[in-house]
Amino acid sequence: MAKLILLWLKCVVLWATVEAVFEDQVGKFDWRQQYVGKVRFSHFDTHVQSSKKVLVATERNVFAALNTRTGELFWRHVDKTGSEGNIDALLQHGQDAVLVVGNGRLLRSWEINVGGLNWEVVLDSGSFQSACLVGQQDMVKHVAVLKKTAISVHYLSNGHQKWIENLPETETVDYQAVYSDGNGEVYVLGVVPHSHITIVVYSMEDGEIIKQVNMSVEAPWLSNIQASCVVVGQGMLTCVDSAGVSFYMLDLHLQLQMTQVPLQSLALEVDPGFHPVLLSHQPNLARQPLSEFFLQLGPDHYQLLQLNNGQIAAMRDFKPVTVWLLKHLLTSRAVEENLRKFNSVFQLYVQAFLKKDDSVGYRAMVQTEDHTLTFIQQPGRVMWTREEALSDVVTMEMVDLPLTGTQAELEGEFGKKADGLMSMVMKRLSSQLILLQAWIGHLWKLFYDARKPRSQVKNDVTIENLSRDEFNLQKMMVMVTASGKLFGIDSKTGGILWRHYLDNVPPNAAFKLMVQRTTAHFPHPPQCTLLIKDKDTGLATLHVFNPIFGKKSHVTPPALPQPILQSLMLPLMDQDYAKVLLLVDDQYKVSAFPSTKNVLQQLQEMAASIFFYLVDSSQGRLSGFRLRTDLSTEQIWEVIIPPEVQKIVSVKGKRPNEHVHSQGRVMGDRSVLYKYLNPNLLAVVTESTDLHQERSFIGILLIDGVTGRIIHEAVQRKARGPVHVVHSENWVVYEYWSTKSRRNEFSVIELYEGMELYNSTVFSSLDRPHAPQVLQQSYIFPSSISTMEATLTEKGITSRHLLIGLPSGGILSLPKMFLDPRRPEIVSEQSREENLIPYAPELLIRTEWFINYNQTVSRVRGIYTAPSGLESTCLVVAYGLDIYQTRVYPSKQFDVLKDDYDYMLISSVLFALFFATMISKRLAEVKLLNRAWR
Amino acid sequence: MLQRERITLQLIFLQAALVVAWCFTDIETGPGAGVSTQPNGDRFKIEGRAIVPGIKTQDWVSTARVLVEGEEYVGFLRTDGSFAVNDVPSGSYVVEVVTPTYRFEPVRVDITTKGKMRARLVNYIKTSEVIRQPYPLQIRASGPHSYFMKRETWGWTDFLMNPMVMMMVLPLLIIVLLPKVVNTNDPEMRKEMEQSMNMLNPNPELPDVSELMTKLFSGSKGSSKAGSSSKGTRPAAKRR
Repeated sequence: MAKLILLWLKCVVLWATVEAVFEDQVGKFDWRQQYVGKVRFSHFDTHVQSSKKVLVATERNVFAALNTRTGELFWRHVDKTGSEGNIDALLQHGQDAVLVVGNGRLLRSWEINVGGLNWEVVLDSGSFQSACLVGQQDMVKHVAVLKKTAISVHYLSNGHQKWIENLPETETVDYQAVYSDGNGEVYVLGVVPHSHITIVVYSMEDGEIIKQVNMSVEAPWLSNIQASCVVVGQGMLTCVDSAGVSFYMLDLHLQLQMTQVPLQSLALEVDPGFHPVLLSHQPNLARQPLSEFFLQLGPDHYQLLQLNNGQIAAMRDFKPVTVWLLKHLLTSRAVEENLRKFNSVFQLYVQAFLKKDDSVGYRAMVQTEDHTLTFIQQPGRVMWTREEALSDVVTMEMVDLPLTGTQAELEGEFGKKADGLMSMVMKRLSSQLILLQAWIGHLWKLFYDARKPRSQVKNDVTIENLSRDEFNLQKMMVMVTASGKLFGIDSKTGGILWRHYLDNVPPNAAFKLMVQRTTAHFPHPPQCTLLIKDKDTGLATLHVFNPIFGKKSHVTPPALPQPILQSLMLPLMDQDYAKVLLLVDDQYKVSAFPSTKNVLQQLQEMAASIFFYLVDSSQGRLSGFRLRTDLSTEQIWEVIIPPEVQKIVSVKGKRPNEHVHSQGRVMGDRSVLYKYLNPNLLAVVTESTDLHQERSFIGILLIDGVTGRIIHEAVQRKARGPVHVVHSENWVVYEYWSTKSRRNEFSVIELYEGMELYNSTVFSSLDRPHAPQVLQQSYIFPSSISTMEATLTEKGITSRHLLIGLPSGGILSLPKMFLDPRRPEIVSEQSREENLIPYAPELLIRTEWFINYNQTVSRVRGIYTAPSGLESTCLVVAYGLDIYQTRVYPSKQFDVLKDDYDYMLISSVLFALFFATMISKRLAEVKLLNRAWR
Repeated sequence: MLQRERITLQLIFLQAALVVAWCFTDIETGPGAGVSTQPNGDRFKIEGRAIVPGIKTQDWVSTARVLVEGEEYVGFLRTDGSFAVNDVPSGSYVVEVVTPTYRFEPVRVDITTKGKMRARLVNYIKTSEVIRQPYPLQIRASGPHSYFMKRETWGWTDFLMNPMVMMMVLPLLIIVLLPKVVNTNDPEMRKEMEQSMNMLNPNPELPDVSELMTKLFSGSKGSSKAGSSSKGTRPAAKRR
């Protein structure tokens, strides 16, 4: 019993030691930025005059409301990724926004003030074509959804279906558009390519077909109605042919015949090679559209036209239109610089409104090619910008900030060779003087700032005043996004310090970011290299840049004419302290960057010890290569995993910047269990191709990357992916779905050399005769996970935690201690001595372990960890749809005073003690004197 | 002895019966072939309502989502707190309402191929155990999430009201102040005090209770004192 109590106590103590966030630390070391993605549809909320909302539906399946004043989110709804959450259409009426989701599968109505759902209905299957709101007697009460084979009408108030009708002759006619102008009829426009237009008119009441007209048009150009036709004025269907020769007009109500108006009669000419587009506007959905409409004649050329009694008249020419719009939006001075910024305008959403003095004001939301959203108010003020490219971060690195001049001076003192005692002393004194000066300057600034009101005190971080702080906690986050835009973000504040758009990035590119030279080599600037690889062709390009300023480096990267299979960073450096990057092409030829004589010479010397591996998951082949002195390669091993049975899902090595402090673990009996620390170890995860729940399995192989020796193999039956793996030190943790028990499970593998170390000084894969001992244990995890990473610290003394991104948006910091295969089932004296927690099958998720408290990160895609200058502190960045940055202290802050350290208490106690001794001394003296007199 | 055996026997029977019951229920959920999606199979709807007692739904629904088996299927909450997740094939799923502010317990929902629904408590260890929950789901928030640790606060009152401190300070005051207040040199006073002492202790022959106690606990006295002194300084030590 006593033992049990002791055990329980121990558990309690252990659980309590796991650190959590304190409430007063909220926002002190962490920040979050929320994004929505590239905008697909947007509507200004205009039903209330004072509304500050703009609704956006994006390509990342997000529906959100932005504040037009600040650009912040009112609310945001994140749907499933992929085509099932894809937003097909956005319609807005009053307080309701109607979305068609998942290729016409779902119809949703949102209440835009609260951000809650009004209703959601499932539509019949069929691919979505078009949707529109239908008005009747000046009231909009219905929404019509056109699918390939059917049209359905739903009530706007509750989503119930009013009627659904199959479309006639769907084998031949391609129905594409639906139109209504509030007269109780719904027009469905279809086209038989190269033959005729079909118009079906339905009655709004019961869905009865009132009329069906086949209008024959000699129109081989007409295949897409939505692209080339609009309804203008009193139901006049107006089309323009692709060559830009003529207008074709058809009255939808009368349907007599199609009239042709040549563009030349209006003195209009389409830019060569441009497909003209028509634009019209229907301000009130229960009424007819305006009789004015736009014809787009060129990429940046619009013509305003008017339809008057069946006659088209040209009204005004806008060329170039963006310049015109921006000129009206911006004052002349701002135009110049902003035009340069907006030269790649992608989409433009303009809201015109009546000001208090009855003049017309404009607001515009501009989306540029690089996924930047800019909101502009008429007098040329940029209200806010949002970098929506950051919603899709692919990879990132953290780079140390450069030292300031004084810091560099101080550092320089230690690096130099001793040149006499006297000069050393002088140097020491002078550097101390510099420090004193800096400190006084700092004090003066503090004093100066304290006098100013708090709102005026700004300590903006700009590129100019960037410098490393004393514990290297502030770093530069270099983020690479899928759109090809690079960002430099200050890790302390989250401010974007530089951005660089690479405009030649293929849409399905894979990126790999490498730091070739850090900031430690002062006169040489730091250097990062981004490898951009087209996934289809395998062709790659290199972009070399300075990670602190974002500027492209003057170093010219080599041209890579062959597809690249593998890239590896060597610890070798050239004479300019840049690490050598090796690129292996599909001919197994190796090229180096930088490839100076010095580098090639070093490579020749080192070649015998340079090995690399290649993975071909389509053929299930893992192969290892060796570098020859003439920079050709030689295959030395190959492992084939039959691709019919299982496929390679991921291959994980260890992080090169990881340090392991202790070589072994001290056991309860004071002996040492040595860790198997093989830096060349690869963890290969395979999944079975058979997905049946009884037969599916996942496998994990531990392979030495140099020799190809299989160290360990484990198979988890009745399990399937997605598998998340973390490989570090001497352990591999992986997570999978158990199909048998329908739950997520964690498994940990630890490798030990045993009680004796074979060669304690150097590890060589070629000389390890003994196979390591393998320990494994599995646990139940009560949630699925999105991603997983381990914390990383400077010297590896601090205990490790696993950072787990959950679908709920939390980031759980799970101590590695809980994933230890030596957790005993029966507690013994020795295991207690070792501080092992008794085995429990289920791991718990405690909300106190969420490092991001309520700042949820949607769709976590990756977690990046970086060591800081403090051993206790690890910097964490979680990215996905949002970006969250924080610090974690896996073993609490043991090397620095905590931020809640009570200076007041300690000083008051000291002073009290001091005065107490003074007073008591005085009293004792008086007493002694009195006694002496007695 | 016999009775004990019988009890164990009964227990075994009960267990066996339970196992059998589980087996049956397992058969019932059998058609739920994992989460493998059948492209042509019927799709069903999981319905329910989430309630946060005492909070208006408008204040929290915009941040809430319904996750079915991770992010496999996603549903949103209506303005009245009810939800429906559409297009879910038959199977067994863990349904969770997630918000950054409130905590909701997850529920396991089984859907047969015919579309019969059943909700039960999530138990990851005994996965086939059935503890029924109402369906359509009624998920009640069990309070706000506790993300933060409490700081150990420190105040003068805490320090002074500490029993250890009181025990030390009060006797000190008595020792220091009493001789000052009462003039012991005055012979009249001394007489008075002696009288009062005699009043308090009317029978000198009787052993003093306090003396008795001190004798009894003399062994543990030293250690307790040491303990108390160490505890007395603890609040300060803890801060370090």
